[in-house]
Amino acid sequence: MRRLLLTIFAVLVPLGLLACSGRSANSADPPAPPMSGTGNVGIPVGPIPGPGQPAALPSNPYADNPVAIQDGRRLFLWYNCAGCHGGHAGGGMGPSLRDKDWIYGGDPAHIFDSILEGRAHGMPAWGTKIPEDQIWKLVAYIKSLRTPQEPDPPVAPPEPKTRTVHEPPQ
Amino acid sequence: MTRQTRTARRAVFVPALGILCGLVLVLSPGLHAAPPESAGVTVPGQRSDIHLVSPVPDGTWTLPAGDMANTRYSPLDDINTTNVTKLTPVKIFADGIPHGHEGQPLVVNNTLYMVTPFPNYLIAFDLTKPGFPMKWKYEPHPDPRSVGKACCDTVNRGASYADGKIVYATLDDNVVAVDADKGTEIWRTPVGEVSKGETETMAPLIVKHVVIVGISGGELGTHGRVTALNLDNGQVMWRAYNTGPDKDCLIGPDFHPYYAKDQGRDLGVSTWPPDAWKIGGGPVWGWISYDPQLNLIYYGTGNPGPWNPDQRPGANKWTCTIWARDPETGQAKWAFQIVPHDAWDYDEIMENILVDMNWEGKPRKLLLHPARSGFMMVFDRQTGQLLSAKAFEPVNWASGFDLKTGEPDVDSSKVTHTGVFARDACPSSTGAKEFVPSAFSPKTGLLYIPAHNTCMDREGLKANYIQGTPYVGADVNMYPGPDGYQGELIAWDVEHAKKVWSIKDAVLPVYSGVLATGGDLVFYGTLEGEFRAVDAHTGKVLWQFKTGSGIVGDPITFKGPDAKQYVAIYSGVGGWMGAVAFPSISLDDPTAALGVVGAMKPIKQLTAPGGALYIFGLP
Repeated sequence: MRRLLLTIFAVLVPLGLLACSGRSANSADPPAPPMSGTGNVGIPVGPIPGPGQPAALPSNPYADNPVAIQDGRRLFLWYNCAGCHGGHAGGGMGPSLRDKDWIYGGDPAHIFDSILEGRAHGMPAWGTKIPEDQIWKLVAYIKSLRTPQEPDPPVAPPEPKTRTVHEPPQ
Repeated sequence: MTRQTRTARRAVFVPALGILCGLVLVLSPGLHAAPPESAGVTVPGQRSDIHLVSPVPDGTWTLPAGDMANTRYSPLDDINTTNVTKLTPVKIFADGIPHGHEGQPLVVNNTLYMVTPFPNYLIAFDLTKPGFPMKWKYEPHPDPRSVGKACCDTVNRGASYADGKIVYATLDDNVVAVDADKGTEIWRTPVGEVSKGETETMAPLIVKHVVIVGISGGELGTHGRVTALNLDNGQVMWRAYNTGPDKDCLIGPDFHPYYAKDQGRDLGVSTWPPDAWKIGGGPVWGWISYDPQLNLIYYGTGNPGPWNPDQRPGANKWTCTIWARDPETGQAKWAFQIVPHDAWDYDEIMENILVDMNWEGKPRKLLLHPARSGFMMVFDRQTGQLLSAKAFEPVNWASGFDLKTGEPDVDSSKVTHTGVFARDACPSSTGAKEFVPSAFSPKTGLLYIPAHNTCMDREGLKANYIQGTPYVGADVNMYPGPDGYQGELIAWDVEHAKKVWSIKDAVLPVYSGVLATGGDLVFYGTLEGEFRAVDAHTGKVLWQFKTGSGIVGDPITFKGPDAKQYVAIYSGVGGWMGAVAFPSISLDDPTAALGVVGAMKPIKQLTAPGGALYIFGLP
């Protein structure tokens, strides 16, 4: 099963990248002034300037895969993501991943890119250390937060009943 | 929201009698074990048995705590218990930075200097002109990657002034000296590396011509240390590590720790598993004190890493330790490890207040350390002998300290292990107090402690060391402690080791520093944003003003060029516990923000981020 998924992943990702790099070359608008750097955007985070539609983003080969989501939870602790983003991704040194706000886009492909390339305010470029396969599993876990699929969801600590407390002197 | 408890009422001392007694002591050096010059610093109305160790500010505020001894006491008394109700804001300056405004401004040469959180602007205000307009703003442009390496918000705890220079540290580990007149950079020295998880948040202390500064990052597998720089040119003079071999810790022939537990060779290596000391934390991010007579600096070190103690069997020296060192050579004089093999994150970087006063009927050179671990610790600062350790908030990780051995009596059921929760450990990792500094009044003899009452459940997890990422290894859930309050401003009778009065906050910790003045006032702020003036003798709240955001900064007082007294404070919620007010932290994860969410849930409804400087004066 995993091998099959990996195969799908191996096919899908290059397809996705191809799709993203496609331009709307048949526009009837007057030619735009030449712009440098065109053709390099893999997964755009910002809006697309000028006419044309953004291409479909690559999807997560592990989306909704409960085993991969569980693996993603394990990797979230293993790679110290929890240290910055909270034990259950509620935030801390880094922002919460449980809420609805995404600085660099909340699409699975955007989250994949944020992990892969890092971000300017301290998010490490994990693509240098974590295989892309594992990054997609992390994405699957992150997208499962606050859903019924979330593994090991946070629980409030039980109300403390008894405590041995040495009273300060009066 | 607050409830007042007055457990005692101190008599007001007759100032004239105090001065008379002070004179008698000055003229009778034989009564003192201390060198005769130690009685040289006197302030009006001080208690006859109390002697200040270093000059207190005379209308300026040039050091983080105002003085070298960290008393945060000002003799100014134009604003006092009779007129404080008329206090009104004369300047509000919003800097637009929605992060924790810790620390305090400086005032010198008719100028007030404010250091902001990241991006660490230094802003100068002209006190000679109406409205105190901005003179200039110095922008150091710290590396933005440092933002994500700061464990507990992008805070800065202030600057020191000497020799025409304002010296402070930027979040990306640079120490900068700025021309106090022109706002131009004189020198800049890197003292750490962001890529290793190191950041800078503390205020350096300038002693003679030496700038002394630590490093933050106890949660990122850093190698804790203090660096000393030459004030003239920023060159490194010495560097003393908190873990590792004696030569790296600047432990040499002068080192004479009082207790056997702190004696031996290379304890910074032998009390760790092999090489674990290299990433063992022990940062220095609090306050440094200096005793000019003994020529010693004092500071505490932070927690060992990772938080899971099973990964570092041993006492883990010299984490959670107080050092005494020579400021010019860095050589250690004594050390006292407060928490061996820490399992709770009890950084002991708290302020050390130096004061000469009677102890058990005899004058003694004391070091007062209101510990994060919950005990009010009193040391002889010449020798490092522990004289007293009494709990000032609910504590159960240890029942106390053995004064003969210096060892805490630890409750092993409160020690976390891998996969095992230690439940109901008090105080929580944020301590019975945080870095927020206390103030000591030589008039009342009381120490005013900003305190917390939180407990926690804590489970050890296997932590992986990956350079530049958190090295934590614990699941932590904090919650309010017993007896229905969470914050407390405590007036502590040092000599009798007891609370005299306290002001309790039902739902939030007290997370601001404290200022005591000759006007018999104590100033502090609440996380809701109330800035308060309290009667130093009785604890009665005499005046308060609601600022725009929660207060995590430290009040100061000064005299303007118009000869009027002013009081200044930052407003701007943040820091470790205060960061729960930020929109980037979700309340449904109790382990978020390193476990403080469970204790801080109400804060989102009580305040919101936004930094500003407030200056108050009499009409």
